[in-house]
Formats: sequence, structure tokens, C-alpha cells
Amino acid sequence: MALTGRAGLLALIGVLFVGLLLPSWQGILLVLAVLLACVVVDLALAAGVRRLTFVRAGASSVRTGELCSVQLTVQNPGRRLRGVLRDAWAPSAGVVADRVPVDVPAGGSRTFSFDLRPVRRGDRIADRVTVRSIGPLGIAARQGSHVVPWTVRALPPFHSRRHLPPLLERLRELDGRRASLIRGAGTEFDSLRAYVIGDDVRSIDWRASARSSDVVVRTWRPERDRQVTIVLDTARTAAGRVEGALGGVPRLDAAMDAALLLSALASQARDQVDFLAFSHKVRASVPRATLPVLVQAMAPLEAELVEFDARGVVAEVLRRAGRRSLVVLLTSLEPSIEHGLLPLLPALASRHRLLIASVSDPAVHAMAAGRGDLESVYAAAAAERTLAERRHLTALLARHGVDVVDALPDDLPRALADRYLSLKAAGKL
Amino acid sequence: MTAVSPDAGRIWTAARGPVLIGVIILFAAVVITLLRGGGEGGSLDPRSYRPEGSHAVAALLEQNGVRVELTDNVSSVEGATLFVTHPDLIDPERLSELSRRAAATVLLAPATEVGKVEVETRQPGCPLASKAGPATTGGFVYEGEQRCYDSTLVRTGTVTTIGFGAIFTNRDLDEEGNAALALALLGQHDRLVWYLPSAADRSQQKSFTDLIPDGWKFAAWQLGIAAVVIALWRARRLGRVVPERLPVVVRAAETVEGRARLYRRSHASAHAAAVLRQAARDRLTPLLGLPHGEDPSEEIARRTSRSAGSVRTLLYDEVPVDDRGLVALADELDALENEVRKG
Repeated sequence: MALTGRAGLLALIGVLFVGLLLPSWQGILLVLAVLLACVVVDLALAAGVRRLTFVRAGASSVRTGELCSVQLTVQNPGRRLRGVLRDAWAPSAGVVADRVPVDVPAGGSRTFSFDLRPVRRGDRIADRVTVRSIGPLGIAARQGSHVVPWTVRALPPFHSRRHLPPLLERLRELDGRRASLIRGAGTEFDSLRAYVIGDDVRSIDWRASARSSDVVVRTWRPERDRQVTIVLDTARTAAGRVEGALGGVPRLDAAMDAALLLSALASQARDQVDFLAFSHKVRASVPRATLPVLVQAMAPLEAELVEFDARGVVAEVLRRAGRRSLVVLLTSLEPSIEHGLLPLLPALASRHRLLIASVSDPAVHAMAAGRGDLESVYAAAAAERTLAERRHLTALLARHGVDVVDALPDDLPRALADRYLSLKAAGKL
Repeated sequence: MTAVSPDAGRIWTAARGPVLIGVIILFAAVVITLLRGGGEGGSLDPRSYRPEGSHAVAALLEQNGVRVELTDNVSSVEGATLFVTHPDLIDPERLSELSRRAAATVLLAPATEVGKVEVETRQPGCPLASKAGPATTGGFVYEGEQRCYDSTLVRTGTVTTIGFGAIFTNRDLDEEGNAALALALLGQHDRLVWYLPSAADRSQQKSFTDLIPDGWKFAAWQLGIAAVVIALWRARRLGRVVPERLPVVVRAAETVEGRARLYRRSHASAHAAAVLRQAARDRLTPLLGLPHGEDPSEEIARRTSRSAGSVRTLLYDEVPVDDRGLVALADELDALENEVRKG
């Protein structure tokens, strides 16, 4: 049960009554009795909360930061229900307004819509639906809660999708599908076609032109149907928060953004994308990933405070990828790589091409530029030391034939996609 | 059924434990109160058997045919001896009115004294207490018509004032002539009103609550009830607080900052200088188109106005620097780098 403001008001009116008309214990008891009687009457006549039934409908997934709505239908088998309803969600589900006034006629039903704007990636679970059913006098209310399960999956925001159109444009250039002054830069012979003005004269196939009545050019296309295996590190280092243009995000989220852009681009380029999230064990695995499946798989992933198991991930990649593929490992360049991953590289590099993409921390770069007082200079030294370690690792990895993309969180998706395109153009997949 | 609110059965199951504990505590409190009964009593209480109590003298008085009436609110004192244990707790006007009506009055240590003396056995030195002989007196000294025991016991009219209460206590009653003196003072008439004033008797001045009309006192009670009702209204939450598991998020630069603090605390200026020099060399060599690890001093000297020697000192000097030197070194390295970029 619950009291309302009217009960308090009634008790305050009782003060005047006792003070002016009946200044005695009897007066107080009389006021109390009246108050109690009103409460009892209200509780008896208020609609029951226990027998209400609820049905949910609406959005089950939404991009983080975007608005969606979930409907809640209340079926009232008893008396007319008046009062307040609260649909409680965890704070990060970002419910715009979680309480609404309700008025459901006897035997009827009403549907309420709640707007959600999740502020954090992952599964956002509805907590309880609480109904406060106020009696006809408006003095007391029955209150009860129901569990009406519903989950809204907040998908990765994929901010880097704005980079996709220019990248696809470049891909088409590579493809030779677009008439351009630049010679088609693919490496696989595609077909012969009639020369049109604007084609590079160097691509004229003289031998074929001799056999035909027209001038014929060779077209090239980039290699296709290659396999790209994206491995996302969800271990300890992925939990570190880095500052980006859209506020601080864990390294994991920045890496996801890059992975999504790369897989969108690769599937447009007709390469096959396999996705693997790994910490000390396989956290998620999507073979032949398409973008919708991939975002669903990424949504619930969180960084874990465990050490990244390099041996395990190499074994897993070798087991899965049958043919030669580009293995993109999204991790952080930490000194631990030297002991963990580096000794295993020969086994991996013999069969696959490895590309390591690392999210670097803008805060470290800012610290490295610090000057003026002693504290800033020591901070600069510490940051330079970290950056030197990363340069050393990059050089070490490059010596093993590993490409390294080390970029700030906002630049990483674009940098990784560019590197992929240049590898593709060079036919190194 | 999706309802999760507790029904009556579950409420009872959850509440019976605390209710049982409450009942046990209440029961124990009642039993203890009943067992200890009225055997209580403070100092100079004629019911009290404690050393500082006065049961002995009251019993002696009863044996001598004096009716002892203990009261904390005197009404009739006519023809009786009035014994006031704490006269200062009573309004002076009321006290003088009472002593006028009483046949005899004994005041114990009122605050009208003219001096203080040690408590010890004194000789009476006056006809008033000559029968009693020596007694334990002292405390306050008073002015009066008849003075005994070095003015610690004085009588003015029917009012007797005594400076110290030892003679009435169970502990000291059997010393010297204490009992005789106590009986002589309190047994003057066959009825004794033993007045133990309480704090409420202190003054008859009107307090704040006396100034409020009676009706509004009840209204104040009702106001309290209204406050409770309003508190209940505001306190009831619409559903529980929703818990949320938050992911582990650490600032990525924390380890770097920790290392910076370690450098600072251990004054590792030499180490920090070496790191800064190495970083400057690593940035300069690709800028000049030199292979990694090569000495850029000669090339820098050719491009700028600096001499190769001074550049080499700046970039490679192994002489340790102090904290102040480190700040200067960082600025010098920056200046050199800027020169190379411009030149």
C-alpha cells in the first residue's frame, strides 16, 4: 500500500479541527479514526494490482544513442484502475520518462509507449513494472510490481559508417567499374571490352585489338573472394578508456568501430569476413559475417580483466581459417605482445597475412607534448617511454612481416580500411 | 502470473522473526521492571536502604510515634514538621509560604549560606542541640537567631537550617550524636512531611508550553501525526531501485601516469633526460632522411646555425641533469626540433 498527498492534507486539516473544535485526546483519536477509515475504504475499493497482466512489444535492438520505443499493454480484469505506472529500466537504458499516469477501465486494456535511448552498448534488461492503484477517495493506494521481461539490445553505434561512401568509391576505382583517368589498379585480369574515351591508353590490348575491328582494352579487377578474419581482443587492455570525439569510450568500442567499417568494406569488395572475439577463450564467433549479424554478435561483448591468451587465439585462427587469409588482430600494442604473440608469429605468418590494428591513447600523446614544469616533463618522459616501446614493437612486428596500424581512436577505422584497400590493390591478400 | 509483490503470507513469513524479537525485548523489559519494583530511591529518600538513603532515620521516627509522609508535592503541612531535602528546587515564595503554615521547618543546605566549612564532628555549643551532643556537621554556614555547631545549624523562629545532610543518612546515622540530633530536628511534632522536591517544582514561572492554550497542545500532537503521514507518503517508493552491472572501465593512460609519478618521486631526472633525448633523436632521424639509429648531429649542423658539437652534446650527453636542468633540456630539445623543421 501507499499513501497519497491527500492523506497528508487530511491530517493537516485535522490539526485545525483539533486546535479549534475539539482540543483533546478524543479529538486526535477522532481525526485518526477518520483518516484510518478513509485509508481502509480506499484500499478496499482500489483496483487490484496483483491480477493485472502485461504484454510487451516494440523494439528489441537499437543503435546505441538512438531512440527506440517499447510498448507495454496493461490488461485489467478487475475494477477500473487509476493511478501511476512505472516501467523501470536500468539507468543506461536511458528511458526518457519511466512513469505514466494510468486509467484502465474495468475489463479493458491500455497500451503505453516508453522511449529508450541507450547510452551504453549491450543488452539492456527491463526491471519491474510497478503499478500504484489509487482508491476512489485518492487517499491511499495499492501498490505492486510485476516482472515483464524484455531486452533491448543496444548495438555498437558504428560512428565510422560516414567513412564508407568515399571508401567504396575508391574500391570502385580499383575495380575498374568506374570510368576514370586512372588505370584500373586491380591485379587480376577481368575481361576485354571496347575502348571508350577516357580509358588509359596503356591498358589497350593490342593483340586483341588486332583480332577485332575495335580497339579493345583489358580491364583489371582486384582480387576477390579472399578471406578476412577479424579477431577482436576483449581482454584486459580492451577495458582502458580512451578519449575520442564523442567522449570517452573503452578501447574495445573503438576497436569495434574499426572492425565494423572493415567488414562492411570487405563484404562490399566480395571478400568473406570471419569474426572472432577472444580474451582467454572464444567470446563470440561469426563465420561468413554480414553486417547485421556482426553488430548483434558484438553488442553484448564487454572487456574482461584477464590476460589475452595469444597461444589460444593463434590455435583458434589456424583451426578455423582453412585457406590463406588476412588476419586482422584488433588489440593494443603492449610490451606483453613481445612475450605472448611474437614467438607464435612464424606459425601464423607461414599460412596467413597478419595485420595488427591498435588503438593508441590520445592522452599519452598529449602527455608527451607536456612542457613547462617538472611534473609535465616527467609525464612527458613517461609518455615518450611508452611511445618508444610501441615504436619498438611496431618495428619488431614489421620484421616478422606483420603490418601494424597504430592510430588514435577516431582515426583508426579509416586508417585500417585504407590499409586493407592498399593491401588489396597490391594483391597481397 | 508476473506479480512479484509480496502477499500477506510472505509478509508474515518475513516479518515474524523481527516481531518475535520485539516481543521478547518488550517482555524482558516488563519482567525486569516488575522484579526491581520500587526498591529504588535516591539520596535522603526515606524508602532507600542505600548508604546515602534515609530509611534508618525514617524507621526510628516511626518507632517514636512520628508519622512520616513522603511527598513530592506538598499540600497540607499544618501542625506538622516540614523537612525539605532540596530547598533550592522550590520557588522561594512557595517555600516561605509553606514554612509559615508548617509547625516547624527543617531546610537542608539552602543556598543562603554566608560561608563554607569542613565536614567534621563538632560540639553543639548551644542549648538547642545540647541533648544531642557532638554530631557530624559542616558544609554551609548560615546566619540565624540561634546558632549551633559553629553556625552550621541555625534556627530562626520555627525554621531550622542545617548545612550538611550527613546526620540523616543510613551511613552516618550511628556516628556520635547524629541520630539524636536527627530525631530532635525531625521529631518535633507527631507528623513529619518529608518533602523530596522534583525538578518540576523548581519554578512556578510560566514556560513556553504554559503560554500556549491547551487546545493547541493537542493540535501540536496532531501536527506530529500529520508529519508522520506526510513522511509515509513521500517515503514510499514507486518500485525498487534498479541495479546495474557496470563494465570495467579504466583510464588507459593510468599506467603511464603512474610511471610519471614514480619518476618524479625517485627524482629519476637522468633516466627521464635519456628517454626525452632518445625520443627527440627518433623523431629527427626520419625528418632528416637518415636511417634509424644514425647520429643526426652532423646533418642538423649543416641545416641550422648550430655547431655539430653543441647538437651532439644536446642529443647524446650522458652527464646527469638535476630536476631543474630536465625542464630546461626538454625546452632545448623542442627548440632544436623546431629549428630543424623550419630549416
